Amino acid sequence: MRIIGIAALGCGMAALLWAQQFKFNLDHLAAKASNKVDLSLNKDMLQFAGKFLNSKDPDEAKAKGLLNGLEGIYIRSFEFAKEGAWSQADLDQVRNQLKAPEWGRIVGVQSAEDKENVEVFVRTESGKVTGIAVLATEPLEFTVANVVGNIPLESLADLGGQFGLPRMKAAPAKKKD
Amino acid sequence: MDWLEEELKSALNRKEPSPGFEARVAGAARHQKVVTMPRRWVAAAAAVIVLAGAGEAYRWHRGQETKEQLMLAMRITGGKLNRVQMQVSGTRQ
Repeated sequence: MRIIGIAALGCGMAALLWAQQFKFNLDHLAAKASNKVDLSLNKDMLQFAGKFLNSKDPDEAKAKGLLNGLEGIYIRSFEFAKEGAWSQADLDQVRNQLKAPEWGRIVGVQSAEDKENVEVFVRTESGKVTGIAVLATEPLEFTVANVVGNIPLESLADLGGQFGLPRMKAAPAKKKD
Repeated sequence: MDWLEEELKSALNRKEPSPGFEARVAGAARHQKVVTMPRRWVAAAAAVIVLAGAGEAYRWHRGQETKEQLMLAMRITGGKLNRVQMQVSGTRQ
């Protein structure tokens, strides 16, 4: 009985690791967070949720369209009341898993204004995109997202500026003196 | 009195039943089986209906919950990617 239990636990862990493309290991931040989001949606759950999406709602219709290639979405997002709750080591332990040849960093942006740092990594297998990782940090926020699936890159652009968020216009470039 | 009234009067006129009518009716009623469902079956059927309804309600509730989670996940990811897109577009300009 005990062996069966251990085997079942092992299978469960393996399934979780298989579904999620890298480990988050951020439970220690949850205790410090004033607000947290912990979402693990595997393929079955995505398909189940898809049945309840309303095609008449623009946001939900868009989400339904994106579900086709998705295998899972895993997100840990923490908001803190005070600065210094997360450390560079927390970021590095996630970032260190996103290495070549599977992962490639496609873009990283830093905002000096609000000290926001966002990095996007893409996982490719046989020339196909099989996953996206997003690391976003601010002094009071730490977010890691793993979108698993064969996602066409153009969907990336579609994903931004949708879901009730206004598509933000780029700030005009500063004139050089 | 016209012919229709006459016809109606004749049709609705009280007539005595034939001899032995009462005994025949009582005999037929005795032989007829009244089919009634046992109470436990009625209770079981009611329980099945209630459980099926509750199951469907729970499924709908879980569906709505999962849908909200999906939309939240897409809002978070979309928001971050939108931020990147905005910054990159700004740099290109």
